[in-house]
Amino acid sequence: MKRIAARSIYTLIVLLLSSIAVFYAIRLSGGDAVSARLPASASYEEREEFRELLGLNDPVHEQYFRYMGRLLTFDLGKSLTNNADIFDMLTEHGKNSLILGAAAFGLVFAIGVPLGILAAVRRNSWADGSVMTFSVAGMAVPNFWLALLSVWLFASTLGWLPSAGCCSFKQLILPAVVLAMEGIALTVRMTRSAMLENLGQDFVRTLRAGGLSEASIVGKHVLRNAMVPIISLAGLRIGQIVGYALVVETIFGWPGLGQVLVNAVLRRDYPVAQFFSLVLITIVVLSNWLADVGYTVANPRLRRT
Amino acid sequence: MSADRAEASTNGAGRQPVLSVRNLHTAVATPEGSFDVVRDVSFDIGPNEVLCLVGESGCGKTITALSVMRLLPTPPVRITAGEIVFDGADLTQLPERGVRDVRSERISMIFQDPLTSLDPVFTVGQVMTEVIRTHRDATKAEARDMSVDILRAVGLPAPEERFDSYPHQLSGGMRQRVMIATALVLDPEILIADEPTTALDVTVQAQILERLRQEQQDRSMSMLLITHDLAVVASIADRVAVMYAGEIVEEAPVDELFSNPRHPYTQGLLRALPHASRKRRELVPIPGLVPPMQMMPPGCRFAPRCPHALEQCWSDHPPHEVEAGVGFRCFNPQPF
Repeated sequence: MKRIAARSIYTLIVLLLSSIAVFYAIRLSGGDAVSARLPASASYEEREEFRELLGLNDPVHEQYFRYMGRLLTFDLGKSLTNNADIFDMLTEHGKNSLILGAAAFGLVFAIGVPLGILAAVRRNSWADGSVMTFSVAGMAVPNFWLALLSVWLFASTLGWLPSAGCCSFKQLILPAVVLAMEGIALTVRMTRSAMLENLGQDFVRTLRAGGLSEASIVGKHVLRNAMVPIISLAGLRIGQIVGYALVVETIFGWPGLGQVLVNAVLRRDYPVAQFFSLVLITIVVLSNWLADVGYTVANPRLRRT
Repeated sequence: MSADRAEASTNGAGRQPVLSVRNLHTAVATPEGSFDVVRDVSFDIGPNEVLCLVGESGCGKTITALSVMRLLPTPPVRITAGEIVFDGADLTQLPERGVRDVRSERISMIFQDPLTSLDPVFTVGQVMTEVIRTHRDATKAEARDMSVDILRAVGLPAPEERFDSYPHQLSGGMRQRVMIATALVLDPEILIADEPTTALDVTVQAQILERLRQEQQDRSMSMLLITHDLAVVASIADRVAVMYAGEIVEEAPVDELFSNPRHPYTQGLLRALPHASRKRRELVPIPGLVPPMQMMPPGCRFAPRCPHALEQCWSDHPPHEVEAGVGFRCFNPQPF
């Protein structure tokens, strides 16, 4: 419990520092936020007036404190491009991203862990060989290329699945699989090596001496031990999925948070870009915190009693 | 084949042995070929008897025990010849399923390092309950009662709480008691203990040995105790088998072995032992090293280190001789 408390404080500090970093980065990244809102024909005076209105001429730290104060009262502001309420954007696109992310996250473990177990139990067989080849390919292939390839094969050539759009089950399949691919590849590898490592431990011999069945030893005891590192890194898989969502959502036209953020950055819509960056950072940081909690729960040796 | 062996056995009282190992060969496959790490090992364990298997590290003691339990890491190690007769059946021929029924229920084994030999992510009680329920029709409550009783019997303090403890919450001595309790909970006929005290503090060692001895007597159980510690042998054994380079070189009742060892290796071991009654007597080490398994001499495996080696010892492999209830492998036994 002490460990979890310490990690929680650490997590809060990381969140605070990253909010400062995002705030400064967007203001230092160049480009003109005002041109996102005003027509190109606007005069210098009009632009200057608009800047003053948004507080863009104040020192950055003042702007930061003002922004954070408003965040705490859930006053998220509006988009500069279409005047949409940012809170409404969050709920609408957040739901879409959650569906895609949860599907990908589920696939990572639903496919990765069983394949890893298979490879470990049938070590050095053709099954192990194919699973490991698949894993190397999954890690080596960049997801944007995999996305384009899968669209070409399953949508254009075979016509089995739609190439883009939201939000039917059929439209979900391709982006979810592409998003999950690297996580699956890594999870397969980790499961296999963790299973093999634990199969060689002394306690396995003790359990065999106890007359337990091989199914229980491998499927229960060794698997539970092997899950410790996999659960602890599950949080990192969330982080990975959030990062790749920017690319995958854009390619598949999936209207999620990643797509919103990419568009906002392209249009210098800084209130939107800044807020959604913070949202994604918060998800990644919280998932790492969750990983720590998960590790503590999965590993009795770290539980304080 | 086993007729001459049965006669050669030094099982004194002539009782029906509980376990009978006959001409066991266990080999390890390496890129350079297959080598016997256990060669032509035969011994009997009688009812209610403690047989100690002694020898240096790497002499094949543990491999012998793992062969009996069919727990060898196969591949690369496997039994290549011989019989292990238990209750009329040859354990080397049993299918995996049959071996599992014997393990823990009839022959149990405890291991050297209690720190790594217990499953770290399950509680003591979860594992004990699973072992019981694998072999017996017991409810979880019955299994719990059985476990707590045996934990208490082996001297674990607060057994009810310990039942729900994880191994890392216990000290080394407590973990070894847990391992002993798990091994004894189904009341097996034979307990194999592989250096059960080597990893423990000296004070705890004595307690654990005493506990093993006590349980062995209370349950009229047979025991195969593996150790390299002759002090342990003297305190607990009925009979002793001395192993050298994969072979049993001498086997005798414990008093006979300590007072009148035949084989030069046994004699060397005893001379290398500090003795309280002999004042300032110098310890005599055995010169040389055990030959690596790829370079075993064709004759007696101890010949290169033996002070009494004859011409014959270098060329011929000594058979297992029996003389007045003592078995040994030597062409030139010397008075001690």
